[in-house]
Amino acid sequence: MALLQIAEPGQSTVAHQHRLAAGIDLGTTNSLVASVKSGSAQTLADAQGRDILPSIVSYQADEILVGDDAKAHAILDPQNTIVSAKRLIGRSLADIQGKYPSLPYDFAGTQNHPQINTRQGLVDPVQVSAQILKTLSARASMSLGGELTGVVITVPAYFDDAQRQSTKDAAKIAGINVLRLLNEPTAAAVAYGLDSGQEGVIAIYDLGGGTFDISILRLNKGVFEVLATGGDSALGGDDFDLMLVSHFIEQAGLTRPLSASLERQLLQQACQAKEQLSSMDTCPVSLSLETGQWQGELSRVDLEQLISPLVNKTLRSCRRALKDAQVTPEDVIQVVMVGGSTRVPLVRQLVENHFKRPPLTSIDPDKVVAVGAAIQADILAGNKPDSDILLLDVIPLSLGLETMGGLVEKVVTRNTTIPVAKAQDFTTFKDGQTAMAVHVVQGERELVDDCRSLAHFELRGIPPMTAGAAHIRVTFQVDADGLLHVSAMEKSTGVEASIEVKPSFGLDDQQISKMIKDSMSNAEHDMQSRMLREQQVEAQRVIESVNAALVDDGQLLSESEITKIRAGLDMLGRVSLSLDSNKDSNEVTKQQVANIEAAIEEVNQITATFAQMRMDKSIRTALAGHSVDEV
Amino acid sequence: MNYFQIFGLNVQFEIDTAKLAEIFQALQKTVHPDRFAHASSQQQLLAVQKSAMINDAYQTLKNPLKRAEHLITLRGIDMPSEQASFGDTRFLMRQMELREMLEEVSMADDTDAALLSVNQVIDTEYNSLFINLQRLLATNSEQSNTLACDDLRKLKFYQKLHVELDRLEDKLFDAD
Repeated sequence: MALLQIAEPGQSTVAHQHRLAAGIDLGTTNSLVASVKSGSAQTLADAQGRDILPSIVSYQADEILVGDDAKAHAILDPQNTIVSAKRLIGRSLADIQGKYPSLPYDFAGTQNHPQINTRQGLVDPVQVSAQILKTLSARASMSLGGELTGVVITVPAYFDDAQRQSTKDAAKIAGINVLRLLNEPTAAAVAYGLDSGQEGVIAIYDLGGGTFDISILRLNKGVFEVLATGGDSALGGDDFDLMLVSHFIEQAGLTRPLSASLERQLLQQACQAKEQLSSMDTCPVSLSLETGQWQGELSRVDLEQLISPLVNKTLRSCRRALKDAQVTPEDVIQVVMVGGSTRVPLVRQLVENHFKRPPLTSIDPDKVVAVGAAIQADILAGNKPDSDILLLDVIPLSLGLETMGGLVEKVVTRNTTIPVAKAQDFTTFKDGQTAMAVHVVQGERELVDDCRSLAHFELRGIPPMTAGAAHIRVTFQVDADGLLHVSAMEKSTGVEASIEVKPSFGLDDQQISKMIKDSMSNAEHDMQSRMLREQQVEAQRVIESVNAALVDDGQLLSESEITKIRAGLDMLGRVSLSLDSNKDSNEVTKQQVANIEAAIEEVNQITATFAQMRMDKSIRTALAGHSVDEV
Repeated sequence: MNYFQIFGLNVQFEIDTAKLAEIFQALQKTVHPDRFAHASSQQQLLAVQKSAMINDAYQTLKNPLKRAEHLITLRGIDMPSEQASFGDTRFLMRQMELREMLEEVSMADDTDAALLSVNQVIDTEYNSLFINLQRLLATNSEQSNTLACDDLRKLKFYQKLHVELDRLEDKLFDAD
């Protein structure tokens, strides 16, 4: 006879199952994937034992190469080999060409949505990032022996909304479930914080290939509270290389424009020289020109002279971040170095002078971000229900609205802890006005033109009233990924105004779906089955979590409410699994996706109050645990 | 929404900020979206909303001027808009004098010393107004609340001035 299983009160009956999750450091120059394996986070290597994947994608005639395989083509075939796509995503063509005038790519597309012409056709920078993510996710699945529940992808803290959204879009195109976008310095703090167990204010100085981030955090009983963050999303070790390239061009008596392959050669020499000078005082430089071989030499003093203005620029950001965090350099108990560019001795020296203490370099600066992301992915996947760790991050740049005269009115100021929701009221200025345009920008400056345009929202369906009578409340919500969502409502009538979003940069939903389809061999069919799988996963999630909730807090409900919920769950279970074998018809699959969506929505509606009650109950419990004497 | 209640605190201006921070962290450990990363979309949405609300409540209570404004609003007094001018002519004069002082900083021979002296003036006047605000908010009468409201608006002016001073300092420093 089968024994009945009885759960202890307050404990979920959902068997704890280890979910596979990974952290991906999607870097400008190099990318890595890491995961928690038997309790410790480690980077995962490919079949050749290499854990660093160069962030390079090469579009060859009949295949797409990623990483080291692509690197080989960087010099010979620069037009079709995309290096540092991270610097291109979420940016306009003017931004890109202004900052990197000598990129060897054949740009096409539009001003705000640049693409690159390769021999495989037009490629969007987001698709390039998607290839890298796909490669790393596949490596993790292989290494961990199963499909991943989800991944945490790290982004520079200073990434704006468009860049974050583009990163998430890349994951979507790659078919990866993103548990969270995590700021790189925060990830490093997690890796380091667990390692040291220290409490107090720490500074994370993160100088990567393409970006510089400074974050000031307070560590307290497992809570990592970001106090302030700052930096420069277009300053990194690659800029050191560019400085050296200009220097070599001058020394060798060359004049631009140069051939794409010579540019690549110069860059390679620069990169090599920079690395060698970390341990040597001088190093040789050689170029093969059409006129013959050119030989030169570079000393560490030359290098330091060239790059010190850039390093000083990072220190200015540090000063500002400390001020924003309302702490002094003396309050900082540790400085953590992240990013390959912190290997440059001058960087270490100047950072030490600034904070008046030697920075920590004990964790490999190339791996620390991926390791931190893996730890967080493990927690977010639900493998550590008792974990005390909580990351409270901030929005790096203020969000504002365009007002009369091209001025910006700030709605959410930078360094506000996320998630955050702010409401702003608007009114109409014409009788019977039913639509309104809102322009959202990101940045600290007072003029719209000096900030970054994020999106234009059009509010429609405002009930016609006399001028000034309508009260439209627009709510700006920034989620835990640092992404903006906007909703609007007319207050006096309660009419929900519909919003049409036109992102200023990056992709809209249709473009993303098209790219997903393009990436599949049997587009329509694969797309449908992928959507079906996603809905089935969501259905499973709903069933599991509601069941667990019933076990934990069923007593909050009446018998009839429970019966109703159970009926909804049964229905959802049946709908999500039925017809699974019929894989041939797109129409049938489409219908099933719609059915599951409807059944989930049904369950959501029946359980809405219950979910709210549970949340309130857990808040009360948390409060009670804090012996609030004053109530 | 009464933010004091969310944290189980008495509705009064003086609060224990260490305790506030402790309760804030405990609440976020319960409702933060990271706790629901693997839950259903419905739960995730709810978590974002609750967490955002608690963040907002915390930011409001942590900052003394925002806390004062919240308290005054809870007591049923509407703060006049930022643009409304002060009836107090003496303060209007003072505002102009302080603005002039700020403008003169960049023209001074020793900008560092000039910055420091403006900073001290602002801090001293801010502090005496703040002590007055604390005293006014300790009682809850119509008269004291109205006076507190005036005081708070003046304090906000000083706060803005401080931000401008910081910006000026950054600018002078960057120019070096």
